Amino acid sequence: MNTPRSNDSEPVLREHVFDGIQEYDQKLPNWWLFTFYITIAWFVIHWLAYYQFNVGQTDEKRVDDAMAAIENNRLRQFESLDDKKLWEMSRDPKIVEAGRASFMMQGRCVTCHGEDLMAKKTHPENLTLVGQALADKEWQYGGNPSDVLKIVRKGSPDVTKGMPPWEPMLGPRGCVEVAAFIMSHHKEGEPFTISAPPAPAK
Amino acid sequence: MNRAQPNLASVTTINADGSRRFLHPADVQGRFTVLRRITALALLTGYVALPWIPVNGHPAVFLDVAQRRFHLFGLTLATQDLWLAFFLITGLGFSLFYITSFFGRVWCGWTCPYTVFLEHVYRRVERWIDGDAPARRKLEDAPWSATKISKRVLKHGFFLLISAIIAHVFSSYFVSLRQLYAWMHGPPSEHLFAFGVILSLTGSLYFAFSWFREQFCIILCPYGRLQSALTDDNTVNIGYDKTRGEPRGKAGTTDAGDCINCVRCVQVCPTGIDIRNGLQLECIGCAACVDACDTVMQKIGRKPGLVRYDSLNGLNGGPTRFIRGRTIGYSVMALIGLVVFAFSARSVKPMNVTATRMKGAPYFMADGSIRNQFNVQVINKNNAPARFLMELHDAPAVHFNLGTTAIEVPAMGQASPLAVLTLPQLDFHGPTTVTLVVREDKPGGAAIERKLEILGPDTRLQNHDYLSPDHYKK
Ligand code: SF4
Ligand code: SF4
Repeated sequence: MNTPRSNDSEPVLREHVFDGIQEYDQKLPNWWLFTFYITIAWFVIHWLAYYQFNVGQTDEKRVDDAMAAIENNRLRQFESLDDKKLWEMSRDPKIVEAGRASFMMQGRCVTCHGEDLMAKKTHPENLTLVGQALADKEWQYGGNPSDVLKIVRKGSPDVTKGMPPWEPMLGPRGCVEVAAFIMSHHKEGEPFTISAPPAPAK
Repeated sequence: MNRAQPNLASVTTINADGSRRFLHPADVQGRFTVLRRITALALLTGYVALPWIPVNGHPAVFLDVAQRRFHLFGLTLATQDLWLAFFLITGLGFSLFYITSFFGRVWCGWTCPYTVFLEHVYRRVERWIDGDAPARRKLEDAPWSATKISKRVLKHGFFLLISAIIAHVFSSYFVSLRQLYAWMHGPPSEHLFAFGVILSLTGSLYFAFSWFREQFCIILCPYGRLQSALTDDNTVNIGYDKTRGEPRGKAGTTDAGDCINCVRCVQVCPTGIDIRNGLQLECIGCAACVDACDTVMQKIGRKPGLVRYDSLNGLNGGPTRFIRGRTIGYSVMALIGLVVFAFSARSVKPMNVTATRMKGAPYFMADGSIRNQFNVQVINKNNAPARFLMELHDAPAVHFNLGTTAIEVPAMGQASPLAVLTLPQLDFHGPTTVTLVVREDKPGGAAIERKLEILGPDTRLQNHDYLSPDHYKK
């Protein structure tokens, strides 16, 4: 359907007129038309691949998979950890050193538990050390490595005490290292007492 | 083949059946052509050289995507400063509008990289291999022969090579030269993504400059499409002096105007229009037609400037007003933008600090003091490790629970220390604000302030009077 131009230079006008407005009979550039055909072809390919044959993943699935992988990885890191393993780790100088670095970093555990891990016990005059003593034989929420690890990860069960969950900040690995560092001050099988929870703050 | 004269109603480069008409602009000489070549040469040198010139230890322009650091003429920005890109993008856009209100599409004809590459690189190669306009036209129409094939192969080979070079130059703005060099020397299988990027860039450039050409300027470029809104009767564009030129006639005719209808201006136009039809959307303001007509005028002994840089007012014999509502308004806006940008750029610090109350209870009480715990996050944007100090201001009774407040942050890393703030309960008289200052531990170091609210128990509840029933009987 190739309408010849009127004088080889001017395009021809279409016949219809509306409100005195007329229209030239001109074609879209072929390359432009071609981009439309490409999008049409692409739509068919896309529709078949994504919605009919499930070739390729949707973004939603990709995100879900990545999240699941992270969660799996996290769980796996704790799964194999029992008291025995944690005791072993507390004797591993590399892990203990990493734990010490996390513990002693300004603004971390050391802030409340003190550099000697004894908090107020050895510094009764220093009221600002608010944590529990961790190097004595007295525990409040259990003295097994897994109990300690749980507190490091999830924070104190008593929310009025201010010990926050550290897993979001240190990551699973960091928590295990800190717990190993704390347990390096203790020996497997040593006797400990569970103290009564202190009186609620006035 | 249809060689119809350009008209206002249709695009010259599109035939009636929608197929492409390939242009073969004729050679042109003149002062603007020379100036344009010099400009293009300077720009090309600049494009290539910018990633090589060190300023403050970094390339003059280096948008380091791997490290997420953006180096612009000595200013280093981190991802956290990306909001400043607002000024960069709107600033570039606005400058373009500003210049357009005075001089139309000078950007297109003189400095746009697309024109610079097309007119001063690809078309030069084409001119060199295929000859001048008539020769090129003849070659296009000629049947396939050994010469035509060898010329085509040679030309497109060069086009591909140049496209690959430009693709690499472009990449050198985003990856370090060392990395780029390593990639160029390693097998592509080791960096498939980078290889793919270079390949597709080369392909796009080759397509754009060997085939698509002026179609981009005429149909796709959004800036070109805005012209009718950006220019007015006082904007200096390329124009044809109708009063002087019409009616067209042969040289020597007495009752005719100055235009001798030699169509030189049409032959040299890279967008295929006839400037004598007036300002048209295709015109990229390249001034080729100005040089072409000036040469003709000189030859026949007439005054040059039949086609010239002038405003519509000027072409109609009136004065061109540069100072007018539009340009005054644009100038004021440009000034405001610059001032705001200057202030914003000064606020860029080498670190980023956020402080949020820690999860859990809002405050804790023990041993007669009130404790508020904040999570401070310090991001070091520098490429070197840095030491920061935390300080408290504006509330003398509030203290850190430990003396040391130094934070070591690795290069481009972050640290999240706790700020455990204590306050004797007796000194607490309702919520107060304390200012946490994190400063670089070096003389003249930058500092960032964050306001923290210290919370505690309602002080009225500590007042026994207040709690006693008698209080309410009063
Ligand atoms: S009309 Fe003149 S200035 Fe405009 S694009 Fe053509 S040659 Fe260049
Ligand atoms: S080059 Fe000058 S004289 Fe020749 S046709 Fe164009 S405007 Fe007329």
